[in-house]
Amino acid sequence: MIRPRVFVTSLGIISPIGADVSQTVEALKNSASGLVPLTLFPSTVDSNPPAGEVSFPISGDISRTHSFALAAAREAMSKADGTPDAIVLGVTTGGMPASESLLKNNCTDPAKYSYHGIGTVAHYVADALGCHGPVLTVSTACSSSMVAIKLACGLLTSGKARRVLVGGADGLCRLTYYGFNSLQLVDPSGARPFDSERHGMSVGEGAAMLLLEASHVPPVGAMAEVLGVGLTCDAFHPAAPHPEGAGAFQAMKKAFADAGCTAKDIDYVNLHGTGTPDNDLVEAKAVRAIFDTNELPLLSSIKGASGHTLGAAGAINAAISVLCIENGLVPANTGCCNPDPALCLTPVSTPQRKPISFVLSNAFGFGGNNASIVLGAPAQTSSFRPCRDKSSAFSVLGSSCLSGAGNLAQTLAALRSASGLSGTVPTQALMEGLDEGTVRRLKRLPRLVLALAIAAGKTAETSAQPDAVFFGTGWGGLSETSDFLAQLFSSGERFASPTDFMNSVHNAPAGHAAIHLQAKGANITLTDGDYSFEQSLFSAGLIEHAAGEAFMVIGADEYHEKLTPLFDASAAAAAIPSDGGGGLLLQLSSESTGLRIAPLFISNDPVPELTLQHLLTVLGGPGAIDKKYGAVFAGIPSAYRFQGRQQLDLFVKAARCLCPIIDYRHVTGEFASASALAAVIALESVKQGALFAGLCREGAVGLHGQGVLLLGFGPCITAVEILG
Amino acid sequence: MEELIHELKSKIVDVLNLITIEPESIDAEAQLVGGALGLDSIDVLELVMMIEKDYGLKIDNKELGVKVFATLRTLAEYIHQNRSENCS
Repeated sequence: MIRPRVFVTSLGIISPIGADVSQTVEALKNSASGLVPLTLFPSTVDSNPPAGEVSFPISGDISRTHSFALAAAREAMSKADGTPDAIVLGVTTGGMPASESLLKNNCTDPAKYSYHGIGTVAHYVADALGCHGPVLTVSTACSSSMVAIKLACGLLTSGKARRVLVGGADGLCRLTYYGFNSLQLVDPSGARPFDSERHGMSVGEGAAMLLLEASHVPPVGAMAEVLGVGLTCDAFHPAAPHPEGAGAFQAMKKAFADAGCTAKDIDYVNLHGTGTPDNDLVEAKAVRAIFDTNELPLLSSIKGASGHTLGAAGAINAAISVLCIENGLVPANTGCCNPDPALCLTPVSTPQRKPISFVLSNAFGFGGNNASIVLGAPAQTSSFRPCRDKSSAFSVLGSSCLSGAGNLAQTLAALRSASGLSGTVPTQALMEGLDEGTVRRLKRLPRLVLALAIAAGKTAETSAQPDAVFFGTGWGGLSETSDFLAQLFSSGERFASPTDFMNSVHNAPAGHAAIHLQAKGANITLTDGDYSFEQSLFSAGLIEHAAGEAFMVIGADEYHEKLTPLFDASAAAAAIPSDGGGGLLLQLSSESTGLRIAPLFISNDPVPELTLQHLLTVLGGPGAIDKKYGAVFAGIPSAYRFQGRQQLDLFVKAARCLCPIIDYRHVTGEFASASALAAVIALESVKQGALFAGLCREGAVGLHGQGVLLLGFGPCITAVEILG
Repeated sequence: MEELIHELKSKIVDVLNLITIEPESIDAEAQLVGGALGLDSIDVLELVMMIEKDYGLKIDNKELGVKVFATLRTLAEYIHQNRSENCS
C-alpha cells in the first residue's frame, strides 16, 4: 500500500503584518513591519519595547487567542466545502489574555474563566465549524503549532482523517510580555534577527490555519505538499537552547528523512530567527551544519516584521512557506541591517521573486522543543513511501501513579482495603526518588511528572531508555502561573519571576522529564481539560516509533488552592481536593499478548447517539465488548455528571454490556488527569486478573483473563483499552 | 561590606530555594555562576530581580551582569558602590 500524501489546500492567517492571506502576501512583498507601540495595556518596562500587536476587535468573554484562531480558521475554510474531519491546534496562552485581567481584578466567579483552558480554543473553532472528529491541542511553547502539523500528518497518513484543519493561535498578554522581559529576551528597539546588534525578540500574537488533505495525487487547488516534519528535544535546559544546536540539527535531519529529500533540494529556509542572541546563534550553527556551509540556500526570518507569535509561530511560518512556494516569493529578514559576522549567515535583505520548490522551516520552543518542516510545490508524482501501520497498540514496559494515597504501592494497598484515593499527593510520596537540590526550581506539577517518569522507569523489567515523551495535563503548572501573576500584580507590574515564567508553559514538566531521562525524541504536551491524558496517548499513536524504541506517556495535574476551583468546575465541586496522575513506559506492540494499552477512540461529538454508534463500531459491535472486557472504567467529570451519565447509560444499553461499570472518579477524586491514574489502576487490575475491592461494591470481582475498557464521557467521548 | 555579604548569602539561598545549602558555606570569592552552587543564567535573572527590588539597582545588560555576578564579593561591591540611599 502507498501512504497517502498530505497537501495544503487552503490557508488562513492573521498576524501583525496582515489580517488575511492577501494582506500578508502584500506585506511580505513590501517588507512591511507590523511592530507597533503596545496599546493593549500600559507597559511598565522602561524602554517600552514595540510589540507585534494585532489590531482586531474582540468581543465578549472570549480571549484574543480565540478570536484570532476563529478568524484564521474561517478564512482557511472559506474556499472549502464541508467541515474538517479533525482539528489540531498549537496554543500556549489560551484564555490567558482574558483570565489575567480577571485575576488582576480578583474576580472569583468561575463562570468568567470558562474559556481559560488552552484546549477551549480548538473547541471554540470546532463548534463554530461543526467539526465532530478528534480535536487535539498541543502546547509545547513556541514550537506548538509546528508540532501540531506533525500530529495532523499522523491523522492523515494513518487514515484516521481525510481532511484536517491544523494551526496555531496566541494572544498577547502580560504573562508573555513581562515573562520574556524578565528573561531579558526582548529587544528595546524591536527584533533584529541575525543582526550583530540584536538584543532579543519582539513579543507578538496572531494565528494561522492550514487545511490539510490526504490524497495520492495533488487535489484541485493544492497550494503545497507537506513532505516531512521532524521533532526533537534538546533534553538540555528548560529555557536555553543546546549551545551547539544539537536538537535543532536533529529536527531538520529528521524532517529531511521524513520528506525523503536532502539539504541540496532546499531552495529557501524560513528560519525560526527570534532575534534573541542565543536562538539566532544556535540556529545559525545548526543550519550551517546541516547545509554545506559554502552553499547555503536563501534564508530569512520574518520575526523582525511580525514579532514572535509564540504558539502561532510554527503555523505562521508554515503558512508563509506555502505562500512563498505559491507566489515565487522569498521574504526579507526585516530588521537585520548588519548580519552578525559571528553567525556566518547572511539572510535575505530585500524581498526576492523567484520560483521556490522546496522550503525548510523551523520552530523552536522552551523545554528544548524543536520542530522542522519541509514543504514542497505540489508535484504530480512523488517517491514511493510505505503506508504506516494503522494499529497503535502499545506494550506496557513500566507504570507508575501518584494519588491521594501515595505512590503505586500505597495506591494499590488503599484499593485493596477499599479506602478511596481522593486527596492531594502526600509530600513524602511526591519527593520519593527526587533530589531536593535538583528540583529546587520545580514547583508541584513538574515534581509530580518527574516523580512519575522516574518511578515508571524503575518498574520496567528491562532498562528501556525512552526516546519520546507524551504528556497530558488539564491545567499545566498552576503554582508557577499563580506565583508569576501574583508577584507581577503586587509589584505594580514591575517585577516578574523568570523562573516561574519559564516553568509556566504547559510543556515545562515534560521538558524536565526529558532532561532527566535524556529523551531526545519528540516531546509533545497535549492539553484539553479532562481529556488531556487520552489526547497524549492518542498522539503517541500518531508519531512513528522505531521498533523496540520505548516512549513515556504521562498524565498529571496539580491541585492549586486558588486557581483549580476557578478553572476546573469538577474539582471545585469535590468535597476533597485531589491531584496526581499516572505514568507509562511503552513501546509499539508487535504481539497480541502481554500487558498492553491502546487508544481506540477520541471524539468531539455533541450528538451522543451518533458518536456512541461510531464508538461501538470501533469496538467491534455489542457482542465483542463483553467478550473482550471484564469491566468498564467510566470517567465522568462531576461538572458533566448528568450529560456523562446519560452517555454511559446509552452506551451500556447499545453495547448490551453486562460487566461491572466502575464510575472511577468516585475513587480517584476529581482532577483533570484522573484518567491517567485510572489507566494505571486498570493495568494493575488486568495484571492481577481481578478488580480491586475498593473499585466496586461487589468487592474483588474477577476479570477472567479479560481486559478493561477505559471510557471518558462529557463534552468529549474517549475510549482506551487495556488488555493482559 | 562583610555584613552585606552575609545578608546576600541568606537572600541568595532564599530566592533561589537552595534548600541543600547552608548560607554561611557559600564562598564569597568563588565563581558564583556555573560553580559549586549549580547556578545558571535563569538564577542570575532571578537575582537581578531581587537586587532591583531590594537595593534599587538595575542590571539590564549581559556585559554588566558578567562583571557583577562573577563572585559574591563582586556582587556585594557593586551593590555597595551603587545603591541609592533611599533603598536598603
